Amino acid sequence: MTESAVEAEQAVSAEQNEDELTRLEEEGEIAADYLEGLLDIADLDGDIDMDVEGDRASVSIVGAELDQLVGPNGEVLEALQELTRLAVTRETGERTRLMLDVGGHRAARRAALERLGVETARKVKETGEPVKLAPMSPFERKMVHDAVAAAGLRSESEGEEPNRRVVVLPV
Amino acid sequence: MLEEALEHLVKGIVEHPDEVVVRDRALRRGRILEVRVHPDDLGKVIGRQGRTARALRTVIGAIEGRAVRIDLVEAPGYR
Repeated sequence: MTESAVEAEQAVSAEQNEDELTRLEEEGEIAADYLEGLLDIADLDGDIDMDVEGDRASVSIVGAELDQLVGPNGEVLEALQELTRLAVTRETGERTRLMLDVGGHRAARRAALERLGVETARKVKETGEPVKLAPMSPFERKMVHDAVAAAGLRSESEGEEPNRRVVVLPV
Repeated sequence: MLEEALEHLVKGIVEHPDEVVVRDRALRRGRILEVRVHPDDLGKVIGRQGRTARALRTVIGAIEGRAVRIDLVEAPGYR
């Protein structure tokens, strides 16, 4: 390939990244409007932060009294994320993988799962025995798999939803 | 407030938001929020295996602080 062709290709790819970013930012804005409307009506205090994390739009509601929007095991948060994704899709016509967080719940859960992954990997290295973890959602399992991989071990998932669980394997 | 919150959540996800009507009905058996949507939107607000209907009930129940009965029905007069 000639040098100018390489440059042209790089320019196209930069433009695609730019388009992708704009699209994710737009998703975040639609989601923020939808959620802000709900907070106003329900008279709940909360600010909305928007971000793009990797290939996903990420929207967080931050504020003091938001426990009711998280719910037991984060079930209200999951429900709200589901509705928010539908609202985004209605506007854009495209599926979205937008992530919603409320009161830092998901961020705290993610940190705990990372610690669990690292801790379990250490135990498996010590004993040479596989360890099965408690059942988790697909998103939570991914957090653990990633932490285990970063610690240099392999893991897989076994069982059927909703009882599917991570197994950390010895070398 | 509760029916307004439900109306907002539903209007944001349907193709015919202007046709969404929420009625707060106090019946002898208790309170029911009845949501009427355009017939083409009924499948959408129910969702696959009732996922979307369940999500609406979960969020509205969380705002109210207890379970609220929600009925999703077709607006009359289309067929």
